[in-house]
Amino acid sequence: MMTRSACRLSLAAVLAASVALPAMAQNTITGDTVGPANAPKTLTFRMTTDGPRNNDPDVAEGYGKLFREYVARHPGWKVELQMMSGDIGQEQARMLEQAKSGNAPDCAAVDSFVLPLFKKAGVLQSFSPYFKKEEIEQLFPFIREGITGTDGQIYAWWWSTDLRVLYRNKKVIAEAPQTWDDTRKAALASVKEGMEGILFNGGRFEGTTFDWLANFWAQGGKLVDDAGKPIFGEGENRAKFIKAVNYYRDLVESGAAPKRVATIGNYDDFNAAAAAGTTALFVGGNWQLAQLKSTLEAEDFANWTFSMLPGPTGAERSTGTGGWTVASLSKDPAKVEMCANLAREIYMGPANALQEQLPTRADLYDKYPVFATEANKAFAAALKVGQARPGAPVYPEISNQIQIMMGKVLTGSQPTEAAVDDAFKASMDAFKRL
Amino acid sequence: MPPAIASSAVPRAAALPNRRQRPRVAPWLMPLILVLGLFYLYPVLDVFRLALTRATLLGGDEGYTVSTLTQTLARPELPGILGVTALFTLASVFSQQLLGLAIALVVVRGEKRRLFGTTIVRTTALIAWVVPGIAGGIIWKMLFNEAPFGGLNSILRLMGAAPVQWLSDPDLVMWSVVISNVWRGTAFSMVVMYAALKAIDPVLYEAAAVDGASAPQRLMHVTLPQLRSAILVNMILITIQTLNTFDAIISLTGGGPGRSTEVLSLYTFNVVFRNYDLAGGAVLSILMLVISLGLALVYAAFLPKGEDR
Repeated sequence: MMTRSACRLSLAAVLAASVALPAMAQNTITGDTVGPANAPKTLTFRMTTDGPRNNDPDVAEGYGKLFREYVARHPGWKVELQMMSGDIGQEQARMLEQAKSGNAPDCAAVDSFVLPLFKKAGVLQSFSPYFKKEEIEQLFPFIREGITGTDGQIYAWWWSTDLRVLYRNKKVIAEAPQTWDDTRKAALASVKEGMEGILFNGGRFEGTTFDWLANFWAQGGKLVDDAGKPIFGEGENRAKFIKAVNYYRDLVESGAAPKRVATIGNYDDFNAAAAAGTTALFVGGNWQLAQLKSTLEAEDFANWTFSMLPGPTGAERSTGTGGWTVASLSKDPAKVEMCANLAREIYMGPANALQEQLPTRADLYDKYPVFATEANKAFAAALKVGQARPGAPVYPEISNQIQIMMGKVLTGSQPTEAAVDDAFKASMDAFKRL
Repeated sequence: MPPAIASSAVPRAAALPNRRQRPRVAPWLMPLILVLGLFYLYPVLDVFRLALTRATLLGGDEGYTVSTLTQTLARPELPGILGVTALFTLASVFSQQLLGLAIALVVVRGEKRRLFGTTIVRTTALIAWVVPGIAGGIIWKMLFNEAPFGGLNSILRLMGAAPVQWLSDPDLVMWSVVISNVWRGTAFSMVVMYAALKAIDPVLYEAAAVDGASAPQRLMHVTLPQLRSAILVNMILITIQTLNTFDAIISLTGGGPGRSTEVLSLYTFNVVFRNYDLAGGAVLSILMLVISLGLALVYAAFLPKGEDR
């Protein structure tokens, strides 16, 4: 039975909490809102895990601090946070539909590869009045091109970029493979050591297309023409495309890669294989270096390094670059400005440093010490051969068709040429429909 | 009483009990009609409307046309998708029905004999049912993982057996997907069969015992005929449920490798959310509706009529 003093103590604690909590709410993130609950103006922000809901407690706290400081600088405002699920393609398509019907959030994270669709649909508001010309000029050219509309205005702020590299365990594979042939030999050598061989995405997943496209781009291949029409199945492009697909097919057929690559559709599988010590070579994203560091024991992590993706020859190299933007879907100018402020004050620099996500502005690499590391310098150097996915509305369907084609080729259920021709025909059909 | 008043009073008095006997139903039904119309009928009608347009998620000119209908139904990949859907649905429905019936028979028999653990069996089966499709798909993906540390292959290796290409073999992957779907859906069939078995009059079994019927004979001549309606209704429900399944598949295989496990519902999802083809997705949704209704009518034809019951 509870004693009288215990009852008094509990009552006092409840009363103290009821007094203290509203005071704390002024400064903390409560539920899905940042800032005072009674603030007259609200900005809704739909975000990915790049925010206070990040799974890493340190990153989440770091973002929490950035959001609180941002709200404190703009009295009278609060930010209502909305989380996206992991199915980015579906989330972005749904947001586009909401924007068309006037139900979109005021401000949102838009994946760089669907940004052209949002621009084409005319649902984004111009950010040009809120960013200085010098700030825009500091952006890498492919970034600037990506956010600029046909009218010369910028319609989003692309704050982070990423790229694909080849990770390897130095203990098993001492030298970085430079060519496709080197890669096959290195992977076969790792198989002799009892490993699975090289791992890469080959399932129904956007990463399958994006990671592999570097092999096509390295030869100078083009997916679409200037009008956005698919051309990868015609003339020289077809030959380059088939050559790049056969590179992956050969890896599987020679035993340099396990057949299960046709089922991999998640970068986390590579981290798991590296942690289990079952692979010594995989195609991954630059962000995985930090993940490997936190997953592996220090002495195991010391064995891992990365290099540029191999090409058909040592001189022909490329890598896919992506990243996230912040854009405004509101028609209220005050909210558009707040969204632009959010992009500048939270994401343009501070968030890059917090998560070690590569900035899109050359000057930020010098501003933040975190980007002075050898690894980040190497990533920045690799960005020079980086290529973004084409900003054509038909790209998502081309990607879908490449994923289907890759599954058929890697499992040996269809010859490469026939699978490529099927993918091209389906992409052309989609282009005519859009 | 003046004659005029008297004549008007009589019919009013006569009408009163009449009105009490036949109350106006419209005001009572109107909220339900409005809710059904707004939240169920309107979206369905809008799907039919969209199927006759060129609507995409990117906006632009919708314009009414029948070409969407013909072009979508003439897509070269559609026969393959329908074939995959038919195999997935048939294998899932029959397996769920058989397993659901088997578990229900075991549970009912166990209860009659007051055996320990019947409640545990029922609860265990139901746990799989309440797991969301996406989570179920992720669980099975971990089990079917073909990496050296994958769930089922690790067990096979411990037993000295060769690992199986659960998800990368295009001929085997469909059966892996069916196993995951049956694991999740069997509980529903078990619940329906369990309720139907409990409703069978024990006198029938007593009469069969008096006639010297063996256990298989009791199953064939008493239990199954008594379960006929329940089995058919269950088949209708799980067929529609299976045809609409896509969450478990998208998280397990994404429809791959290639199109090996891309069922109609997943294909429809891809058409809308990857290809942004809203009109094409609407046509495929109507196709799913027609298939579901057609199968439901076939099953319903086998349902016992009034006098057969």
